[in-house]
Amino acid sequence: MRRFTKMHDDDDVATAMESVEKGAEAAVFDKGGQMLQDITVLEPIPHGNKIALRDIPAGQPIRKYGEVIGESTSPISAGRLVHVHNVRSLKLDVPDSIRREIIRQMNIDTTTEGRA
Amino acid sequence: MTDKTFNGFARPDGSVGIRNKVLVIAVDECADGVVRNIAKGFDDVVVLTNWYTCMLGGNEETFHQMIEVGRNPNVAAVLVVAMGCGSILPEQIAAPIGCEGKPTATLSIDKAGGSRNAIREGREKLAPLVTYRNNLVRQPFPVSRLVVGVKCGGSDTSSGMTSNPTAGAAVDKLIAMGATAIGGELFELQGTEPVLDKRAVTPEVAKKIRRRIDEENRRWGVPGAEVETMSIGNCVGGLTTIEEKSLGALHKTGEQPIQDLLTIGPDGVDKPTVPGFYLSDVTMLCGGAGVNFAALGAHLILWTTASAGFNNAIVPVIRISGCKELINPDIDIDATGLVDGTATLDAVSDQTVKKALRVGSGEPTAVEDVADSTMTLYQKDRRLESLLGHTCPK
Repeated sequence: MRRFTKMHDDDDVATAMESVEKGAEAAVFDKGGQMLQDITVLEPIPHGNKIALRDIPAGQPIRKYGEVIGESTSPISAGRLVHVHNVRSLKLDVPDSIRREIIRQMNIDTTTEGRA
Repeated sequence: MTDKTFNGFARPDGSVGIRNKVLVIAVDECADGVVRNIAKGFDDVVVLTNWYTCMLGGNEETFHQMIEVGRNPNVAAVLVVAMGCGSILPEQIAAPIGCEGKPTATLSIDKAGGSRNAIREGREKLAPLVTYRNNLVRQPFPVSRLVVGVKCGGSDTSSGMTSNPTAGAAVDKLIAMGATAIGGELFELQGTEPVLDKRAVTPEVAKKIRRRIDEENRRWGVPGAEVETMSIGNCVGGLTTIEEKSLGALHKTGEQPIQDLLTIGPDGVDKPTVPGFYLSDVTMLCGGAGVNFAALGAHLILWTTASAGFNNAIVPVIRISGCKELINPDIDIDATGLVDGTATLDAVSDQTVKKALRVGSGEPTAVEDVADSTMTLYQKDRRLESLLGHTCPK
């Protein structure tokens, strides 16, 4: 059983406590260690990265720790990776060249973004 | 020692120390060698050197920090040494340290007749301070007397999920017991202003926090010499935005109201006035942060990390890691159980509180006396402050 942690009730995302492969059996736990729900993992989520807990339209605030950490730049389906390819900062965004490098290094699949 | 007490040293000014150090201050950088020779061979004697300049102009923040480190309750007695030609007189440092009864002594190398004579005279002056210190005994005090710093350094992806929440929960528990906690690293709080607004006890405190974060951003964001805020490594590790990184860092400060922002500046060093949580000017730079916390009067520091870190010779550092890959025997609190669910946040933060009380009673941290950092006297550069238009308001 792979573990994701949801830091706050209001969060749209949960964080992978270890790397989780696509299709793995996984569940979401709260900060205190209580299991909240099972989750279907639609793509690899590396350790420390975030999975969408619900379908998120484009242009929506994304919450972690109960606070807004940025805004979705494209629709994100529940179970997909939430990261620099589909979220931008509202404060000081990562430059495009750096974003492309992160996507390259992490081998993030951007082609199917928006499709479940 | 019980669940709610620790055994500390009563100081003449009414404060309580958890360590019993004798401090030797070199007010000029050129006196460092003499001071280290004075201290050589004495147990638990710490050297603090003003490495910056012996001139007072522009150096006021360091000047005040030397005084306030001397006044820290973990310090039992202080010897202040100067070369004799600089513009900071040893008496200017020793008088405010000793005004409420802490034993002090001063020495001028010039007046002593040179380095070798000064070392001999300095050792004669240090010996009775050490004897005084050695005769003090611990007695029980309530946890409400503790002032705890909280800081991160050598963080990684695990920090926001494991060690920072552990420190935050421990800070909340300590404050619930009446203690005081202090965070800093304002540069790393950018993007968390909406949360800080809600935590500030008054709109004035909220405004002050916003202004200071903004100043810190300008200080470290001078065009052409910007300090990076988000690295590719941060992002590959799973952090998407600066807001997310900052919120993870803020987590180590718990959820209690923010009473005030304590200033460390050219006009002096603020101290907590009521129990609770405070932000402060404590720098994100690790060695300097240890001395900043000492100057604010902190007894110990909770430090979140993957594996890196150090001790401060005056303010012991309790380190917390939840990084399975990097945790090592230097770490005091193992929070890796949070990764696989074999431990709960409640249990690990309880361990942290208990450890803080044991360290408060004299138990050494994992690397105490083994891995002390330099006593770095960091100060904001007044020339840069002037160019940036920072008025260093009180």
